[in-house]
Amino acid sequence: MISMAPDMSNKKSSIIDLNNLQEQQIALRIQNLNLFYAEKQALENITMNIPKGQVTAFIGPSGCGKSTLLRCINRMNDLVDTCKIDGQILLHSQNIYDKSVDVASLRRKVGMVFQRPNPFPKSIYENVVYGLRLQGVSDRRVLDEVVENALRNAALWNEVKDRLHDSALGLSGGQQQRLVIARAIAIEPEVLLLDEPTSALDPISTLTIEELITELKNKYTVVIVTHNMQQAARVSDQTAFMYMGQLIEHADTNTLFTTPSKKKTEDYITGRYG
Amino acid sequence: MEFNINKHISGQFNDELEQIRNDVLKMGGLVEQQLTNALNAVNKSDRDLAKQVLESDYLVNKMDVQIDEDCTRIIAKRQPAASDLRLVLAIIKTITDLERIGDEAKRIAKVALESFNKTQQEFLVSMDGMGRKAIAMLHDVLDAFARMDVDAAFDVHKADKELDREYEGIARQLMTHMMEDPRSIPKIMDVLWSVRSLERIGDRCQNISEYVIYFVKGKDVRHTSEDDIKQNILS
Repeated sequence: MISMAPDMSNKKSSIIDLNNLQEQQIALRIQNLNLFYAEKQALENITMNIPKGQVTAFIGPSGCGKSTLLRCINRMNDLVDTCKIDGQILLHSQNIYDKSVDVASLRRKVGMVFQRPNPFPKSIYENVVYGLRLQGVSDRRVLDEVVENALRNAALWNEVKDRLHDSALGLSGGQQQRLVIARAIAIEPEVLLLDEPTSALDPISTLTIEELITELKNKYTVVIVTHNMQQAARVSDQTAFMYMGQLIEHADTNTLFTTPSKKKTEDYITGRYG
Repeated sequence: MEFNINKHISGQFNDELEQIRNDVLKMGGLVEQQLTNALNAVNKSDRDLAKQVLESDYLVNKMDVQIDEDCTRIIAKRQPAASDLRLVLAIIKTITDLERIGDEAKRIAKVALESFNKTQQEFLVSMDGMGRKAIAMLHDVLDAFARMDVDAAFDVHKADKELDREYEGIARQLMTHMMEDPRSIPKIMDVLWSVRSLERIGDRCQNISEYVIYFVKGKDVRHTSEDDIKQNILS
């Protein structure tokens, strides 16, 4: 008798239950976060847990607060004078908005990559080691090793290994964006924030970056803001849909894109928003 | 959740979805007509009508292929999500079942081309009740599909049991007859195949009702018990 049932279990074992996270599975805890730009409230009472070692995507129409929320995670909004924040974001059960937190050291733990690649006008090599040099590392061997590892992890090594000392500005847009990611991961952050990392890139470079994101999540917690819904569907494990400063629905990506539970989410992802 | 396929920002996408939905209903109407004609042909030994059914089957097949192509194009071009995606999937599956119902109608029509003696013909007529039930199921499930009505779909789902029961009753009678009169076996087998076809049509209508529930509720209720389906509809 044949007793072996075919193994149909979901291969994506990374799917976890968001409502039932163990303490050690959580990278970031956002609690009752409110944000105001002067009088205007941009985020309303956001509470969510961002799981560790996973890709979480924020989606939503322009002006819904997704980039604002992403920027809160490494305190980029500190730079905006009129910005007021209450509530907390916990990284290792420490509120990152606590007075005792050093912003520079927070940003070492929480790296960020922006929409337009922004390499420094230096060599490829110097771009990658920039953070380490700031930290005072000067041992050539250590730096060489970091450069190779970071560029390999950013899937750029093979393309640039023979011209590490050429200017980074000579790279293509897609390569520059991967270089910026290499620069961000060279200092071994825990969380990597990506703010529309592919919106300035062509489709093929976009796919390379997406592939890279899937690789990165083995080592880092990735949070990505994207306007491209299909991209969120492709690369993320969890998706959060935001609308007018509120978190409408946060669910695993498979569920959110096939059977969303909120009408607003349904309307947005099926293109009925407007 | 309320469904309205006409509210996309892209008017063209609205048109495309509306078009395939209408095509499915058109194909359903055609299959319903085929089945009705096949049963009438058997009932009245109408060879012309039977031939007409056989000749029209290609229309059903053509629609099957065409709707499949349209769905493929929508997936490639529009990347539908959520209820749109479920609609396209439900349609792809529905038309497969409709096409197979068309095949069953053809099989029944072929029987009408054979000649039967009086007792055998009586047996053929005895499946009329079952035939009418099968047509009603098909009609109701298409109606449920058109209105995306889960309750109506669930009614069709339950109705299949009755058809199964009738099938067993008729099959038993036919077997008794074959034992009594072995020379009639080839002819009675033809009758049995037709009855079997009707029973299969019931199963396929049941499948379609499950796709309707899947589309509306987002829950795959295939291979689950009636109680589970009820739970899913209520949730």
